[in-house]
Amino acid sequence: MKIIIESPQPDEEDVVIVRCKSPDQRLIAMLCTFHKVKSELTGYLNGTIVPLNYQDIYYFEAIDSRVFAYSHSDVYEIKHKLYELEELLAPLDFERCSKSMIVNLEKIEYLAPQFSGKLEAHLKNGENIIISRHYAHNLKIKLGV
Amino acid sequence: MIKEFFSSFLRYFVNINTAVLITLAVYLTFTGKQTDSSILWEILFSGLITALPSAALVCLDIKSGKVQFLLWLLHFLLIFGIALLMLHLFGLCAITMKSVFITFLAVVFIYLFTSYLHYLMDKSHVALMNEKLRKRYFK
Repeated sequence: MKIIIESPQPDEEDVVIVRCKSPDQRLIAMLCTFHKVKSELTGYLNGTIVPLNYQDIYYFEAIDSRVFAYSHSDVYEIKHKLYELEELLAPLDFERCSKSMIVNLEKIEYLAPQFSGKLEAHLKNGENIIISRHYAHNLKIKLGV
Repeated sequence: MIKEFFSSFLRYFVNINTAVLITLAVYLTFTGKQTDSSILWEILFSGLITALPSAALVCLDIKSGKVQFLLWLLHFLLIFGIALLMLHLFGLCAITMKSVFITFLAVVFIYLFTSYLHYLMDKSHVALMNEKLRKRYFK
């Protein structure tokens, strides 16, 4: 099956068209996954509810049983557990990088090794986060190394 | 976790033995001493014993830099203690100030050697990972 991605005209909205003789199991599973993945998440900042787009999040961090989402300049509290986010974000380019963090791979500027065997991820907002050995291995697999 | 432990254990076992063999070769060359072939089995046994705590340590996911530093320090002292114990058990040298000092230097060398080897391997993997990231997200 061919996959064609076309850019819409500036005034058109995004649309997914499936052109096939009859949808098989694989295609139905793919479309179900597409529907399950939400593009927005609810964040809480100074008592206000803010809709967050996954693409704007650099990483999620769990601190004392509370979970926070870090965007370029703000930190939002999220009412999800880290493991729930991990499941929710599995189809997207998010990867667990330690027991308490999930990072958006798209926001990684570059990786650097450390003498302890951990990796340091330099993010596009200038922050550095640590990827533990165990999760560095998973990241290698996700990136196909 | 178990898979990671065994993979780290094998890597440490090979690297520690390589470093110990280099140290032994340098030592024999400079002292002009002869040694028995049993030393090879003793090196392998010592490598096995010292690789165990090393592999266990890298499997721990510690966030605090201070705790991590303390654990590495404790690990170094443990390896140093094991090395002294093995030298004494195998009758390779008596425990004197001089032998303790030389063993300390040898352990430091082995420690730096294995850490640097791991770092080099990680560096080559990271170069590939950065390349993949660049291809995927920098258009």
